[in-house]
Amino acid sequence: MTPILEVEQLSRRFGGLAAVNDVSFSLAEAEVLGVIGPNGAGKSTLINLITGHLKPTAGRVVIGGRDVTGARPWAIADAEVARTFQIVKPFRELNVRENVAIGAMFGPSRAGSTREANARADEVLERVGLAEKADAEPGGLNVADARRLELAKALAMRPRLLLLDEVMAGLRPREIEAALELIRSLKDEGMTILVVEHVMKAILSVSDTVLVMHEGEELVHGKPHEVMEDERVIEAYLGKRYAKRMRARREEAGGA
Amino acid sequence: MASVSSATAPAGVRAIGPRQLVLGGVLLAGLVVLALLPQYFLLSSEQRTMAGVFMFVALAQGWNLIGGFAGYPSFGNVVFFGLGGYTTAILMAKSGVAFWLALPAAAAVGVAFAVLMGLPVLRLRGHYFAIATLGVAEGVREVVVNLDGLTGGNSGITVPAVGAKAVTSYPGNTGFYFYFLALALLATGVVWLVSRSRFGYGLRAIAQDEEAAAAAGINTTRLKVAAFALSGLLTAMAGAMYAFQQVTIYPARLFSVDITVLMVVMAVIGGTGTVIGPVIGAVLLQFLSEWLRTNYTDLHTFIFGGIIIVAVVLLPMGIVSFARESWAHRRISLLDTIRAYRL
Amino acid sequence: MTQFLQATVNGLLDGGLLALVAVGFSLVWGVMNIVNLAHGAFVLIGAYIGWKLDSSAGIPPLLAMFVAAAALLGVGYLVQRYLINLVVNAPIWMTLLLTFGLSLVLVNGLVLLFTGDFRSIPTSYGSDGLTLGDVRIPYGRLIAFAIAIAFTLGLVWFMDRTRLGLAIKATGMDRGAARLMGVKVRRVYGLTFGIAAGLAGAAGAIYGTVDTFSPADAGGFTLQSFVIAVLGGLGNMWGALAGGLLLGVVQAWSGQYLGGTLINAVAFAVLVTVLIVRPAGLLGKPYYEARVEV
Repeated sequence: MTPILEVEQLSRRFGGLAAVNDVSFSLAEAEVLGVIGPNGAGKSTLINLITGHLKPTAGRVVIGGRDVTGARPWAIADAEVARTFQIVKPFRELNVRENVAIGAMFGPSRAGSTREANARADEVLERVGLAEKADAEPGGLNVADARRLELAKALAMRPRLLLLDEVMAGLRPREIEAALELIRSLKDEGMTILVVEHVMKAILSVSDTVLVMHEGEELVHGKPHEVMEDERVIEAYLGKRYAKRMRARREEAGGA
Repeated sequence: MASVSSATAPAGVRAIGPRQLVLGGVLLAGLVVLALLPQYFLLSSEQRTMAGVFMFVALAQGWNLIGGFAGYPSFGNVVFFGLGGYTTAILMAKSGVAFWLALPAAAAVGVAFAVLMGLPVLRLRGHYFAIATLGVAEGVREVVVNLDGLTGGNSGITVPAVGAKAVTSYPGNTGFYFYFLALALLATGVVWLVSRSRFGYGLRAIAQDEEAAAAAGINTTRLKVAAFALSGLLTAMAGAMYAFQQVTIYPARLFSVDITVLMVVMAVIGGTGTVIGPVIGAVLLQFLSEWLRTNYTDLHTFIFGGIIIVAVVLLPMGIVSFARESWAHRRISLLDTIRAYRL
Repeated sequence: MTQFLQATVNGLLDGGLLALVAVGFSLVWGVMNIVNLAHGAFVLIGAYIGWKLDSSAGIPPLLAMFVAAAALLGVGYLVQRYLINLVVNAPIWMTLLLTFGLSLVLVNGLVLLFTGDFRSIPTSYGSDGLTLGDVRIPYGRLIAFAIAIAFTLGLVWFMDRTRLGLAIKATGMDRGAARLMGVKVRRVYGLTFGIAAGLAGAAGAIYGTVDTFSPADAGGFTLQSFVIAVLGGLGNMWGALAGGLLLGVVQAWSGQYLGGTLINAVAFAVLVTVLIVRPAGLLGKPYYEARVEV
């Protein structure tokens, strides 16, 4: 089966700095890939490269077998891809329902009329738990609701590939759990999801595989618990000294 | 439950209900009045004044599409006005073309130039876009002046309006009253249709967050250029009619920055992104301008500048939004605006 | 060849003065993201102050320009602090419209006070000049050039070396952070605008000595300031200098080879091309790329 997303040697340089350097991976249908890494690792840049908000300086992005490298964001959307932004970008002068309706109006599976779009928006809002706030202004939403709105806008597009950019930052444990539940149910429906996250627990519980990025490069790519115990990952997050200490402790435990 | 939102959301996304029917009826009555006005109530000179008002309604609505809905403040829309006017004048004067053929030709020129200019220039944002459009308008003006073989340069060009050479007979003040009225209705109708359509929503999304709009699947390039083209079309048609009306036209007038600023001020003060805003703005400011011109000829521009300043400070969101907000909150406060926007 | 050299020299000399005209405009745009359409009017006010002081009080232009600068510094501060500050957080076309309205008021005010007739400020050196080879360099233009460069360098020194200059730069980069550091942003904005107006006024007073002027010239000055600011990068003072010189030369060449009336078209062609190809301007790094507004 064709992978939904293939990223081949994707790179993006800004002058001398390689924000993303030679990253490759592929995602099968209904697979959930967690992307983690310290700040500045290039995770958001990766999403921007895949979704056409940035042009890669090298490498390819293939979606559903079609090369979409360098395509504009709306062409990527046409390939049934939706994304959320790390810093939420609601349409400030439209209310919550209208924000979501926009997603339903312009995606490849767009609604036939504005009325239908509004109806679909209501469905999606129900699903993410924002139905009561459908008439509210985005400016008045709290963090969790703002994230829900961002997600709802993406879901309204009925994507087959969903890219989430740190949707759980700043959420309370119960909210995180609800978000994870939503991701699981989307996966069950066959959606392929790439989740960029900082919240470890979230990644571990919901990802099929995990990609760790560090300074723009791919550090490790594997099953969640493998990745978490990988020394290079510990080093990247906590520094060489701590990694050494961990290794020493493990050898001690192994030896004893 | 219907969506209740801020000024830039369309009222018409709801189905056509009783409120719409009442408004429609009022509109129809108003149109009948306007149609009967010249015959029974207006002097010839007053008809000319009204024609000016209608022209600016069309211009302001044209600007509204690119500046209000799409959020790209063009400060060079007069370039379409001038191109439309000169196309018409040249076709009528040099090739003996009838006005009714010159008009669509002018419209086509407006659209074509908008696309040509829009593709590179719409990549710029905010101030840069404003200046680039201003630059293009000024540049085109100078080119027109320099092509004096074709355009008559600074001495202007004259459309044959009377006598044997006149291909189309001159409509006179009453005729132009109706021409411009039709154009104003067309322009307002276009804006109304856009406001209810997917296209209009797409433009609004672009204006509010272009990146998010692109991510949502909106082809921002296509929509921006389309809005610009529509704007160019309406503005060029206004220019075409103006050229015929004035008979003799000059580059300084047809490409005047003042016309751009007037249409921007009218749209902004009336309310950008709304359907009725530019109408209100155009009517208000054009009458004000005429009144000032007759009563304070020397001070006219001076006072007008002052009015612009006051209007911008007190009503930056425009009259329509201000009215809606005041109605929604049941109170009128100009100070709230200042508090919201001041440093 | 002589014509080319002469045109180039003229262009450079005029360009230096244009740089002074434009540098304040560029500063205001770069620091405050305000495009001041009344900038040209400030230049003209400076010119008229110079003219009035000369014709009524016999004050020489080199002195009058300081008076003009000071007067416009005050006017600019008041305008920004109490008028433009009111719409700073509104959509950008608000400041454009506001300053346009202001320019209408100022320019027509000048017409009412002084009529639309052309004026100029006579100088002791008149149209004397020196001759280098085949090229003639009028003293007036040379002195104007020197003064303009001096003022521009003075501005650079001020911005880099004084506390106020640093405050201005900081505010331009991150208004919120500057506030938190104790910078009185409203006042800094007022002063920045005042400085810009003052420089424009000085430029105007100097301009009056090398060319005739009338209120109708205001728009042209504003437009040229646009071009120079974009060419040089917003808020970049060296850029304004470079941009001014470049524009001066380009205009001189077009005047020489294309005939007078295409000057603006050429300037705008340059402007639009630069905007599309390299919006950061010729000198690259825009000062205020990463702007955070609070």
